[in-house]
Amino acid sequence: MFDWSQEIVLGASILSWFIIGAGLAQTAVYLLQLIIAAYALSKRPPVARSALLWHRYGDVAPPIALLVPAYNEEVNVVESVHSMLALEYPNFEVIVINDGSKDQTLQRLIEGFKLVKFHRPYEEALTHKPIRGLYSSRMTERLFVVDKENGGKADAQNAGVNVCRAPLFCVIDGDSILEPDALMRAAQPFIDDPERTIAVGGTIRIANGSRIEGGRVREIRLPSRLLALFQVVEYLRAFLMARLAWSRINTLMLVSGAFGVFRRAEVVAVGGFTKGSMGEDMDLVIKLHRHMMDTKRKYRIQFIPEPVCWTEAPESLRVLARQRTRWQRGALECFFRYRSMLFNPRYGRVGFLGFGHILIVDVLGPISEVLGYVLIPAFWLLGILSTEYLLAFTSLVFTYGVCVSVCSLVLEEAELQRFPRARDLAVLTAVAVIENFGYRQLNNLWRVKGWWQYLRADQSWGEMTRTGLTGPKK
Amino acid sequence: MLYIWHLSILLSALSLAIMLLLIVRRVLQERRGTAGADQRRLLLTALIAFTENRDREALKTALLAVPARVAIDAGFEFISLLRGEEHDELLSAFNECGLPTLVGTQLEKGNGAERIHAAEMLAALRSENAVANLLSALDRDRSREVRIAVAIALCDIGALPPLVVTLRKIGVAGQRSRRLIELFRRFPPKRFDELRDYAGRQDAVPFIRAAAIDALARAGGFQFGEFFARAAGDPSSEVAAAALRALGLTGHANAPAILIKAMENGGWDVRADAADAAGRLGLSELAAPLAQLMDDEAWTVRYAAANALRSFGQKGEQVLREIAASDVSRRQRTASLILAEGPAA
Repeated sequence: MFDWSQEIVLGASILSWFIIGAGLAQTAVYLLQLIIAAYALSKRPPVARSALLWHRYGDVAPPIALLVPAYNEEVNVVESVHSMLALEYPNFEVIVINDGSKDQTLQRLIEGFKLVKFHRPYEEALTHKPIRGLYSSRMTERLFVVDKENGGKADAQNAGVNVCRAPLFCVIDGDSILEPDALMRAAQPFIDDPERTIAVGGTIRIANGSRIEGGRVREIRLPSRLLALFQVVEYLRAFLMARLAWSRINTLMLVSGAFGVFRRAEVVAVGGFTKGSMGEDMDLVIKLHRHMMDTKRKYRIQFIPEPVCWTEAPESLRVLARQRTRWQRGALECFFRYRSMLFNPRYGRVGFLGFGHILIVDVLGPISEVLGYVLIPAFWLLGILSTEYLLAFTSLVFTYGVCVSVCSLVLEEAELQRFPRARDLAVLTAVAVIENFGYRQLNNLWRVKGWWQYLRADQSWGEMTRTGLTGPKK
Repeated sequence: MLYIWHLSILLSALSLAIMLLLIVRRVLQERRGTAGADQRRLLLTALIAFTENRDREALKTALLAVPARVAIDAGFEFISLLRGEEHDELLSAFNECGLPTLVGTQLEKGNGAERIHAAEMLAALRSENAVANLLSALDRDRSREVRIAVAIALCDIGALPPLVVTLRKIGVAGQRSRRLIELFRRFPPKRFDELRDYAGRQDAVPFIRAAAIDALARAGGFQFGEFFARAAGDPSSEVAAAALRALGLTGHANAPAILIKAMENGGWDVRADAADAAGRLGLSELAAPLAQLMDDEAWTVRYAAANALRSFGQKGEQVLREIAASDVSRRQRTASLILAEGPAA
């Protein structure tokens, strides 16, 4: 009679090794990121004050167009645009793209800024849904509004790229808040190295809990809700560790769609944002890498921590789950769309490290981790794994997670010190520990759900319910 | 097995110890920060009082009563707001308190951002040793951003070494920074010949040559018309485009012929700048080649050509209207768009 127990043990061993292997690979990636990010910070001088930046770069700062796609943003759009128009930058225009909103977004803009229909010739370099009208403001020369048929965020951004005339453009979400000097700081690499710099990303921070008035973050505070606090630590890890590290070795694979500055000519050359993409920001950056390497041109895609963009984090599990599954689908979509770049020597570090990172962290990461949650206890119950090993490995996984989070807090403290009080630091330390017990597992479950939706070719975005950042709020 | 446990304990202990240290450090910083803000406020009050009563001794007492770093920092921003006699007297007070010495040390030993700031402050304070300190930094500083800032500071105090030497010291990698445009714009008119000579060097970085031409043109360098005319035929499209922009500002007797030739250049930026220059100079006799250019494959060129035609007034608009009324083509569409530009009827 066939002995199944041997086969089960063999299968369990293979699975265990897969989980351990993927875990070790992730560990190695995080360790590498930490070392490179720490090195990058040690080489990076502390930043100059805003007043000095203006004095120093004001005369040579290149023109920038701020592209703001807006879909059903009637609640905040006028105040958001006011805050964008008040940015401290010598030469910029704001182009709001009303992406076929079903609410009163356009009407609010027309009333708020005394808009009139305007003809502005533009290059039809990228395709997008038809534009119904262009509007200029009687109140300011800096503002243009593009009213177009609904086509999604990427489609709206492409329309904005067509209409803008500046050599650089900055994409920003309609409900985000830029620090007044964010553009000036983001433009710095384009001033210092204008020939090679093609894209620059800044830090996205969570504004929940902060005091916001007149479209400005007046007082930085930590969110009061635990779910938002978890995301604060998560964002610090993502931006101050991962992006800083990959930027240092020119392998940055993502410039956030919530705030990124791009050179228009290169974006047009790669066909703009990919329509219908779940991760149109990552998609664009990968296309830029590929284009520059294919054409054998020297280039830099940089992340600089100082320009800060504030955004609202979801405060309900339902909305957060939707956001995370969408991000996961976006990462998978990009990975499989450009899979030929993976480990392809032609694409050097981007192919090996950049794509290797996506493979390990985004493609295999959630599956192996969720398998670990299910199978490791099961193996222990079946007697395949000893209690000692179970406890030891579990403790190592958690303490390592805590250590990585704490290291990102160290980087934040060394570089930005955005949280004003020592108490905030203590709270974040506690959160960095707690997030490993529950939140991290939940996140991985959402990411596996994202995998499932990707396999089922589910293209829905889901609704991002926001309570709104602008206006007095605590 | 024991190793795994030890590693776990070590990681958690390390994490918590680091965070504890950071929290303690932050508490201390908070206290220091409050004291620093108070000192800054006191000094600013004294500076404002000085502008009213001109009591230099009282100001010097206030300057010496706060840490030198606070005095320099607050003082630099304040100095930049003043002009004339007040400005000079304030500088004297700063120099008599020996503050520039500290700035010199900062230029030598600070981090990158501090060294750049120190160079700017030395230029503002104009102390005795400023030139020596800055020249030494231009020679020795390891950061090209700092070297560029030092060169700008030296230019401001009229002590910039010859341009060739300065650029060599800045290094090739630094010769692509837009900050150099700033340096060239601050160039003293009596040294414009240096800029022209450098812009004419075929072995120099095209970006630098173009920036030098732009600076010369912006400073009203009509005497360099011949040079711009020659540079318009430069093999580097970046240099040629800059020369055409310059010609558009200064004009030249032979401009029409130069621009017609440039409109056939292989570089789209050269063609666009040629069209733009024709518009700026109001060379309505170039209407025909500009109309041809409206068929160009590059939108920027088409737009520049149509804009140039429009800037000619009635004659140009007539040409545009005729093109707009012709059969559908690239130029017809461009003409229609440019004629419609502006508030909708």
